[in-house]
Amino acid sequence: MKLAELARVVRSKNAGPLKLTFDIMFEDEKGYQAFVQSPTLEPARIAGLYGVAPETVEIMPYPVALAVKIVMDRKLPSGSPGDWDVYGAQQHAPLLEAEW
Amino acid sequence: MVSAISKLLDRFGGKANGRALKVIGASGQLGYGVPEPALKEGLSREPDFIGADMGSTDIGPYFLGSGDMATAAEQTRRDLRRLLLAARSRDIPLIIGTAGSAGAAPHLKRTLGFVREIAAEEGLHFRLGTIRSDMPRDVVKGAIRAGRVRPLGNIADLTEAEVDASANLVGQAGTEAFIRCLEQDVDVVIAGRACDTGIFAAIPQMLGYPLGPVVHMAKIVECASLCCLPGGRDSILAVLEGDGFVLESMNPARRATPMSVAAHSLYEQADPNVIVEPEGTAQVDRAHYEAVDDRRTRVSGARWVPAAQPTVKLEGSAKVGERAVLLAGSADPRFIEGVRSHVEEVRQVVAELVTDDGVPDYQLSFRVYGIDGVYPWPDPPKVQPREIFVMAECIAPTLDRALAVAKTTKQYLLHHGFPGRLSTSGNLAFPFTPPELVAGAAYRFSAYHVMETDDLAGLFPVEVEML
Repeated sequence: MKLAELARVVRSKNAGPLKLTFDIMFEDEKGYQAFVQSPTLEPARIAGLYGVAPETVEIMPYPVALAVKIVMDRKLPSGSPGDWDVYGAQQHAPLLEAEW
Repeated sequence: MVSAISKLLDRFGGKANGRALKVIGASGQLGYGVPEPALKEGLSREPDFIGADMGSTDIGPYFLGSGDMATAAEQTRRDLRRLLLAARSRDIPLIIGTAGSAGAAPHLKRTLGFVREIAAEEGLHFRLGTIRSDMPRDVVKGAIRAGRVRPLGNIADLTEAEVDASANLVGQAGTEAFIRCLEQDVDVVIAGRACDTGIFAAIPQMLGYPLGPVVHMAKIVECASLCCLPGGRDSILAVLEGDGFVLESMNPARRATPMSVAAHSLYEQADPNVIVEPEGTAQVDRAHYEAVDDRRTRVSGARWVPAAQPTVKLEGSAKVGERAVLLAGSADPRFIEGVRSHVEEVRQVVAELVTDDGVPDYQLSFRVYGIDGVYPWPDPPKVQPREIFVMAECIAPTLDRALAVAKTTKQYLLHHGFPGRLSTSGNLAFPFTPPELVAGAAYRFSAYHVMETDDLAGLFPVEVEML
């Protein structure tokens, strides 16, 4: 399943200039549980999608908002020469392309 | 003349005593516009004070490093005028944090200049308190030597050389600094770089409201009505009472629902369950969110855990060079097909042409939008795009140098020859000329670290002036 069919919000943003945070929010408990319990939702898989070290990826279920947060290190500090996305607001696309 | 903060403290007899405290969060980013109808509605609720945040690191390292503001001077003045008139009309405290986008000395100076001009134009007289957030370099270097500075993510350990390289180096003032400033009997507080929570937590803390809910409230209202459905920039009202607070947007179209408020804890945060401050941490994992009605939500249950060791978040920005960019597009399928190798070949040619020894004294990078401009995809797209946008970025020691490299790059990318080329009169479409633009100085974050300190007060000096 693709996230665009499962979630109501899939977004990325800086959490400070050194980290990226991704929020995936669901319309209902069913969608949330489907994603949280997916065996593909694990740090090594996410790290593979983004080309970062698995130990820098953290996955945090946040049931009160039917959401899952993923946090990882930025490859470059926000706005350093070579950065692609100063605000980090368009780094969610690999999550959309992946199958869950 | 009795100051606005003294009047507030008198009204409360110095303590919460079970009374409600009404807080207006007027703006999450002062300088982009403060909607007047919602602010007016907020004022009609007889608030006890108004707070607004004015900056963050989201905008990147340029503004901290250069001293420029991210917002336009004209709009910033309009917003400041609106809030100053609002607060003075009711004689309630106005607290603004992270002056001028990044809160270093030049940002604070510019913002204070606006405040003084507006006060003179409008005939306003008040006691203005300021908090400076520039970190004394010797103190930071001492902390580095003592092993009391650590990185907050993927950045090298802070060195004394990086401290020296930083054009500006600030710390985030906490609630402690705002309280110290308010205790100077002021009407308006303008702070340099500051925790957004400090703006809203200081007065409730002075009145003895429980710190868990206070910091939780502060973290939400600093974004104005962003926690609502739909989220937006309008003023928000928080009413602190008992062990919690009630949120209500001052725009009737925006609803604060238990879900929308709970979800706001995710926004731009690495951990939705904690709010880390210099003086401690608010744990919000067991917070309750309950609907008061369809537009208001009551929040309670956050717990405050004081820090054993006070810390300050350091932010520094260092200049990298001067930046010029080249803007061009292409609709030629053969050029697009091989664009990555074309730009690499042109990079080599340019290096030979613009230097005597082939060793660049500049950084030249190409973003190919349509292929991998936004995200560094490991593979090319499955379907080749019909058009691409190419941005070449040159960072060099001087602006003339950066422009010289960009101009040669333009010419050689335009006429770059390759096998199978059909469009032999030019590979690029320029949207206008000159297609090489001056982008100004380039900066990088040189510090984003946390420093242990035993003297928070000494790092954030407070001054008062009469306007």
